[in-house]
Amino acid sequence: MPLPLVAEHLRQGARMTDFHGYELPLTFTSILEEARGVREAAGLFDISHMGHFIVRGAGARQAVNGLMTSDLESVPFGKSLYGILSDDNGGAIDDLIACAFDPETVHIIVNAGTREGDFAFFRERLPSTIDLEDQSPGQVALALQGPRSGEIVRLLGKDFESMARREVRQVPSSGGILWVSRTGYTGEDGWEFFGPPSLVLPYYQTFVLEGKPRGLVMAGLGARDLLRLEMGYSLYGQELTRERTPFDAGLDFAVNLRKAAFTGRESMLTARADVNRERLSGFVLLDRGIPRTHCPIFDGESGGRVGEVTSGGHSPRVGGGFGLAYLSGPFWQEFQKGREAFVEIHGKRHRARMHPRPFINASPIPKSPSL
Amino acid sequence: MSSERRYTPTHEWIASAGQEGRMKVGITDFAQKEITDVVFVELPKIGKKVEKGGEVAIIESVKAAFSIYAPLGGEVVAVNEKIENAPGLVNEDPYGEGWLFEIKVSDPQLFGTLPDEAAYQKLIVTGGGH
Repeated sequence: MPLPLVAEHLRQGARMTDFHGYELPLTFTSILEEARGVREAAGLFDISHMGHFIVRGAGARQAVNGLMTSDLESVPFGKSLYGILSDDNGGAIDDLIACAFDPETVHIIVNAGTREGDFAFFRERLPSTIDLEDQSPGQVALALQGPRSGEIVRLLGKDFESMARREVRQVPSSGGILWVSRTGYTGEDGWEFFGPPSLVLPYYQTFVLEGKPRGLVMAGLGARDLLRLEMGYSLYGQELTRERTPFDAGLDFAVNLRKAAFTGRESMLTARADVNRERLSGFVLLDRGIPRTHCPIFDGESGGRVGEVTSGGHSPRVGGGFGLAYLSGPFWQEFQKGREAFVEIHGKRHRARMHPRPFINASPIPKSPSL
Repeated sequence: MSSERRYTPTHEWIASAGQEGRMKVGITDFAQKEITDVVFVELPKIGKKVEKGGEVAIIESVKAAFSIYAPLGGEVVAVNEKIENAPGLVNEDPYGEGWLFEIKVSDPQLFGTLPDEAAYQKLIVTGGGH
C-alpha cells in the first residue's frame, strides 16, 4: 500500500522495505548514523503506517478505559497514556497510546500490523452508541525525535514547543484536524504529527529545509528499531503477542490494578502468580556477536535450553550485541541475580549477562510545563 | 596488469592479488548497500580449504547476518585483519580496503568462467538477492 511520502523518500535516496504491507524507508544513509543523529541532534521518521482511531460518543473515555490496562481516567484531558489492549486471556492484542480530550472523545494510536484486528476488537467491545473511526488511510504521520526537536518544532511558529511531555493537541482547520503529540518511541524528546497530507506535508517541508541545517537527519525503520531496542521498549509481534501478558513482558508500569475492571485483568493476575511462566529480560553479550530474533538461549551452568531472543542488535552506545529474550521463570530469577547464559548464534555459543532496561540513557528531556 | 574483477550471483567479487593463483575476494557495492552497516566480519582461518560456493565468512550488519561464499575453490592464504577493527571499510570501500580474504585458487582457469562486470550488472537489474 503506497503511503503519501514514498516519492519524497525515494528522492532523498531512501532504501525502502516492506513493513506489514507498507513500503517504508529502511535507511537513507546508514542505520547507525541515523540512530546517532537522533540521539545527538534530531531525526525525522515517516510513521504514516501507524493506525489512528478516533472514538466519539457519550462515555467514550470510560468505555476505552475498560479495554486497556492503564488508567486513562486518571490522566488529565489532553495527556496521552501508554497501555496494553488485552484479550480475555490476558494476552496482548496490541500496545497503544490513548488520549482523551474530553469524556466523549478519545484518540488512539496503534501498530500497523494489528490495526485491522484492533479496529474489529474495539468495534465488537465498544457500545454501539459509540462511534469508532479509523483515521489512518491516506493520512500522513511524522515523528520528530531527538534533543534538538524542540528547536526544530519552534520553526513551525505554532507554539507546539510549549506543549507538556505526552500532551496531545487537536488543531482544527478548514483542511481537517491535525493531531500533535509530544511523544515518541525512541526515549528522546520529540513530537508526532498525524493528519491529512495537506496539513502535515508543509511541516515536513519546513523540517527538511530548515531542520537539516540544524542537524536533523532523515531516519528509517532500521534506526527506529535500534533506538527503541536501546531503550528496552517492546515491539508488538516480538516481545508482545497474544501468548504474553504485560507482566510477562515486564510492563507492570502499564497495568493499573487499582482502576475499575478491564479486559483480561483476572487472567493476567493468575498468570503472574505462575513462577514457571517465561519472563522477558534484557541482556548484553560478553562475547562478540549479534543476537537475532529466535536465537536460542542456554543456561550458562547446566547448559539446558532456557529461552529465546525476541529482539537483538548491535549498538555502539550499548557497547556490542544486546537484546531482549523470554526466559523460563526459574532461570529468569537466576539470570537477574547474575548467572550467565549462552546465546547461540550461527551454531556458536556467546556468553550473555542480564542488563536492566533501558540499556542506555537517552538525552535529558528539557523541563516542560505540566498539564 | 589487469585488475579485472569477476563476480558471483551471490554478490562476491574476485580479482587477482598479483601473485600467480592468489586472488582477493570481497563483496560488491550492490551487496554492501543491501547489507547496510557492517558491524563485524567473521573471517576464515588461514589454511582453510574452500570449495566453490562453500561458505567462507559471515558478515554481520546492523540488519542481519550474511554468508559469504567462495567464488572459486582453493585455500585461504590471507585475511584482511584491518576490517576486524574497522568493519565499516566493507561499506566505504568494498573493492579496495574492504576486501575480505585471499584464496590460492586451485584452478585459475575457472576465473574466466565467472560473470564479468556487464553480466553481473545484468544480474542485479533482473533482481538478485543475497
